[in-house]
Amino acid sequence: MLTPATAVPESPGPGRKRRIRQGVREFLAPYAYISPFFVLFLIFGLFPLLFTFYISLFDWDPIGEHRFVGLDNFSELLHDPRFWGALRNTFSIWVLSTVPQLLLALGLAHLLNHARLRLAALFRMSVLVPYVTSVAATTIVFAQMFDRDYGMINWFLGLLGFDHIDFTASLWGSHIMIATMIAWRWTGYNTLLYLAALQAVPRELYEAAAADGANGWRQFLHISIPSLRPIIAFTVVTSTIGGLQVFTEPLLANPVGGLTCGAARQCQTVTLYLYEQSFGQFHFGYGAAVGVALFVIVVAFSGLNYLLTTRIRSERP
Amino acid sequence: MKRVRTTAAVFATAALLLAGCGGSDGTSDSKTFEFWSFANINQKADVDVYTKAHPDVRVKLTEVGSTTETAQALTAALAGGKVPDLVLIQADDLPKFMQSPDNFVDLTTLGANDIKGNYLDWVMAQSTTEDGKIIGVPTDVGGLAVAYRTDLFKAAGLPTDRDEVAKLWPTWDEFIDVGRKYVQQTGKPFVDNTPTSVFFQAVNQGSQRYYSADRKLDYDNEQVKAAFDVTLKAFDAGISAKQGSFSSGWTAAMKKGDYAVVCSPSWMLSQMKTNAPETNGKWDIATIPGGSGNWGGSFLAIPKRAKNAKAAWNYISEMQSPKGQLDHFLMQGSLPTTPSVYTDPQLVGKTDPFFSNAPIGKIYTQSVVGIKPFYFGPQDGPVGTEFLNTLTSVEQGKVNPANAWNTALTNVKNAVRE
Repeated sequence: MLTPATAVPESPGPGRKRRIRQGVREFLAPYAYISPFFVLFLIFGLFPLLFTFYISLFDWDPIGEHRFVGLDNFSELLHDPRFWGALRNTFSIWVLSTVPQLLLALGLAHLLNHARLRLAALFRMSVLVPYVTSVAATTIVFAQMFDRDYGMINWFLGLLGFDHIDFTASLWGSHIMIATMIAWRWTGYNTLLYLAALQAVPRELYEAAAADGANGWRQFLHISIPSLRPIIAFTVVTSTIGGLQVFTEPLLANPVGGLTCGAARQCQTVTLYLYEQSFGQFHFGYGAAVGVALFVIVVAFSGLNYLLTTRIRSERP
Repeated sequence: MKRVRTTAAVFATAALLLAGCGGSDGTSDSKTFEFWSFANINQKADVDVYTKAHPDVRVKLTEVGSTTETAQALTAALAGGKVPDLVLIQADDLPKFMQSPDNFVDLTTLGANDIKGNYLDWVMAQSTTEDGKIIGVPTDVGGLAVAYRTDLFKAAGLPTDRDEVAKLWPTWDEFIDVGRKYVQQTGKPFVDNTPTSVFFQAVNQGSQRYYSADRKLDYDNEQVKAAFDVTLKAFDAGISAKQGSFSSGWTAAMKKGDYAVVCSPSWMLSQMKTNAPETNGKWDIATIPGGSGNWGGSFLAIPKRAKNAKAAWNYISEMQSPKGQLDHFLMQGSLPTTPSVYTDPQLVGKTDPFFSNAPIGKIYTQSVVGIKPFYFGPQDGPVGTEFLNTLTSVEQGKVNPANAWNTALTNVKNAVRE
């Protein structure tokens, strides 16, 4: 480097190539870092989604013929009483489980947020226990509790002098049974979400309200609820999406009739109907059409929720 | 350089994650084969016997899950995954696979024609295609009989000896009359339920079920209607405990003796022992009204893409020989499909203490000889479920018995998507 004359002139070829290669690598690096998610999403998320749309246009026997039928599956679906029944059951179970569940979670969160609560950590942790219990185990235990002749609930009703209720056989009974299982599982989870949001509310608000003579109920109504608006909207969205896809509970709660959740399909949800068609009877095309219909419904509801959420968020407490 | 290595590592990790989903193992020599069975049927005992006799053979046995789950896994495998060399298929699932026989090895190419005469003709017919291909070799059948509580019968003033009990009900109508007497005497229900204990038995006793002899869907026929009507009659007689089979109430009532009779196919006996161990010795077995009939059974099949069909076939031909099936029955209690062993003293002498030492081998094999073959079609599952569900709805008071037949036909039409 001392004398320019002795410096060997850099050969342009390999140097530039190396630089270009380095540039390409730097350009690719961030994509490589995020690639695991996207590769997995493409394979397990997007591809099945698009493939479902494709299959729904066929009379698709997984181990036999694949016959193109256009939109026949969908026109058949529109006239299928079993599908409409499943849709009715899904919405009924969703309302029965979500509304009491979120109200209860709100109340619980408010109580758990109380400044003078002893053993707060213990209570706050224990509301989450149902959430970490296996769904299958929960379902089997609840199904036994709701049994017509030997269940605990009917035993109790009997003590009070009422007739036994055949929960699993009736429409409303089976819906209430399944909604109870769902609410039992998710109430604690939602409680913790609300509680986390409530902890961000300044204590002074409650103290000032107390000083002004507001009791616990008024504090709940005028401080807790308004400050929870965004998180309430969030839980409504997640419970809606979850509620429209309820599967395990109706599958295991009522073994009579196999995959139909009861002899009259009284608690068969849309996802269970999809499963019955696809994996019970191997009508993959028709099952896929049910899946597409469910997809459309979920998207529509998410859109509606989004509109409501943005309105609620923009309103000042 | 470091960055390059990290980049490469990230890609490699992603690739590994994906490769992990493929899953493959390269071991395939002529002495190893893979066998998928369902759980709770103890094929392991058979495999152990076989590998003891052939120490050079390795059998990789996988208990996939329930019968339905095994059929689902097989479907997924046939549709484009790694197939086993040998698979056990339950009789109710078989018709779906019989629709696409090209997925399986035609066992006549391996010598099935030489052994097909060993098996009950009406069972063999279920796994034989119209053009004579044999897809499966039967491993067991589900003969029919009635399990009844001797202590409860005695208390109701009914005979308890199994031969005398069998004489009480040569037909379903007489079975219903016995039920009426029992209810009058005790004030308690007689039979666990009518849809399963009457309809599913009676509908399996005819010469035709949901398909005609020329393999066309034909569920609206006299024989199905007769089985349906006798079920309604049993319901109307007020003899049913209305406990849906396999439900938690059914199990609880079995323990408590809240019904005295279960129509029990041979494979249900072990379930009863598990469900109600405290009733040990209180049961006995009598012949089914109508005398004969079958519900269930299983078949062994070899998928077309099997790596080692020959080893699988050697296993089938040895373990499913009349002697192999007899040994399996003596060990496990599944009913053989090979009539030549039905008179074997070991089978005839086999008794079960849980059921008051009833000669189960003799009673159940008698119920499966002389059955007339009928065609099992791909829609048998959904059709049977809809009939059963409608009759269950009748028991639950949701469907008026007078409209039940029409309701059932409507439901079946929806289910078969006509």
